[in-house]
Amino acid sequence: MRSFFCLLALPLLLTGCASKSETPTGGQAALESDRPKVALIMKSLANEFFSTMADGANSHHQEHAEQYDLIVNGIKDERDLSRQVGLVDDMVAAGVDAIVIAPADSKALVPSLRKAKEKGIVVVNIDNRLDRDVLQEENVSIPFVGPDNQAGAKKVGDFLATRLKEGDKVAILEGIRTSFNGQQRLAGFNQAMEQAGVDVVSSQSAEWEMSKANTIAASMLSEHPDIKAILAANDSMALGAIAAVKAAGRSDDILIVGFDNISAVQAAIREGKVLATADQYGDQLAVFGIETALQLIEDPSATADDVETPVDLVTAESLAESGTQE
Amino acid sequence: MTRRKIFQSVLQYAGLIGVLAFLVLTFSLSTENFFQTQTLVTIANSNPDLIFISVGMTLVLIVGGIDLSVGSLLALGSAVIGVLMVRHQWPVYAAVPVCCLVTAACGLLNGFLSVWFAIPSFIVTLGMLEMARGATKVVTDSQTMYIGSRVEGFGEPISVVSLSPAFLVALGVVILGQFLLTQTVFGRYCVAIGTNREAVRMSGIRTKPVIITAFAISGFLCGLASLSQTSRLSSADPNAAIGLELSAIAACVIGGTSLMGGRGSVVASFFGVLIIAVLQSGLAQLGVEDAIKQIVTGGVIILAVLFDAVRQKFGKVN
Repeated sequence: MRSFFCLLALPLLLTGCASKSETPTGGQAALESDRPKVALIMKSLANEFFSTMADGANSHHQEHAEQYDLIVNGIKDERDLSRQVGLVDDMVAAGVDAIVIAPADSKALVPSLRKAKEKGIVVVNIDNRLDRDVLQEENVSIPFVGPDNQAGAKKVGDFLATRLKEGDKVAILEGIRTSFNGQQRLAGFNQAMEQAGVDVVSSQSAEWEMSKANTIAASMLSEHPDIKAILAANDSMALGAIAAVKAAGRSDDILIVGFDNISAVQAAIREGKVLATADQYGDQLAVFGIETALQLIEDPSATADDVETPVDLVTAESLAESGTQE
Repeated sequence: MTRRKIFQSVLQYAGLIGVLAFLVLTFSLSTENFFQTQTLVTIANSNPDLIFISVGMTLVLIVGGIDLSVGSLLALGSAVIGVLMVRHQWPVYAAVPVCCLVTAACGLLNGFLSVWFAIPSFIVTLGMLEMARGATKVVTDSQTMYIGSRVEGFGEPISVVSLSPAFLVALGVVILGQFLLTQTVFGRYCVAIGTNREAVRMSGIRTKPVIITAFAISGFLCGLASLSQTSRLSSADPNAAIGLELSAIAACVIGGTSLMGGRGSVVASFFGVLIIAVLQSGLAQLGVEDAIKQIVTGGVIILAVLFDAVRQKFGKVN
């Protein structure tokens, strides 16, 4: 019932917004305006990573307000797929020129994005790469602008490996299994551990959540008391692992690594509770996507190539360095 | 307590203790290191938050209500602690009362709105679930706040007993809750209202304050749950405890609390929490697939309730 009312209210709100700035006639309106309209569709804005991304986009928009209009939307829950599909349709109806999207699912969003493209809307994929096979099946090409999560996770894993010996045992806290990012990070961790000859004795999903990661990490430590490190596919789970390691009285000899470089984990890195994380410049990710979209709007004939954005290793040393630079 | 009463209460919990023992036995046999003090202590210390919340939930269910806002209130409480301690450098003993005050006020509002305007508490607390979660995001700017060692005392095991103060306080709350329910006028009224509110009102008892108090207690206990989760994780997570209301309801129902009101026991809900907690940790220790974990968890909830239903029926025949 609730979502029904939301659905009713949303088009009303959108047309309301549109009529303030220009005529509310959907696709035609955008052509009349001299500024292209870009819609940024995010995953859950409750997640710090995505809210940072949205903040970055908003401040970029403020600096370039004369170049384009920006509408930012997110879904309530990262797994609320149908709402995100609904948002794409809403944005198409609102007559935007470009959609920059961090898909909640790498497959299910492809059909509605294809429909958007067929209406002449530029679509750029950020953060979570759309599934190549489904894209091919739907016969549509959408450029991906974002970091190589596998390479990032490999960097983190390699750094951890320098502190481990061959034959050491480690455990992995995975993200949501169906998410492409989660799979990529897991692949990167596994690759690094395999190269170093380190044994992954347990690998379980904690669904990106701190409290769940805490429970699972505690169980891993009980079952495999000999593990030397825990690799978490995001920083929230790394924070959950810190607490579990501490509860087991193993703070001194178990190393923890994360991914994302959220502000909360930086403090933990400085205190030596987390060894390393990876920064994929979340605040800039949406901006990269928006810039690509603007280029494509300006020059529709340009081929839409993937753009790889940087991923850097963050350690206590690198934090100290950037601290002194400031 | 007479011998017969003791015997009765043992019998009352026998089913739950049986399920719990069965789970512990199963996991002990199927994993290497489940049956050892460290594992069991870890399970105890990771779950005081759910214990606090289930005690409150039991009271609310008994008066014939339901509180869906508990997960969001936990997150809101921990956001309050996080913001006060990190941004404003408050000490923990000053931040915690504010946290409990906020969550208790939300609980009070839940009770007041649903009782005074005769709105089903399902709807009121559903609204509160959304509002409190939204408020949490506003307060924290949707950022996880890392507090560090200043907040850890409550969740840290005491070396002598290796249990955390949080767990010991939770045990105290369970005992207090059971006492309140079975040995006080308030408790009797709760059960009576849950059984037949109209009849209670007709006999000249004011039902509204009793129901509102139950909701306020639930809210207050959410505050204690916030403290125990925040101190265990050393951080305040705005996405904490999403869906925790369902775990709490499951724990209560496993313990035999009726969703229709009028029947329930705080101690039984406590066993319900233990069953859920043992299941979670045991399955993680086994390292089974996520999908399998969900199937098993759901199955055990249904089995436990089935077990209870059969026992009830059997008991009546006798």
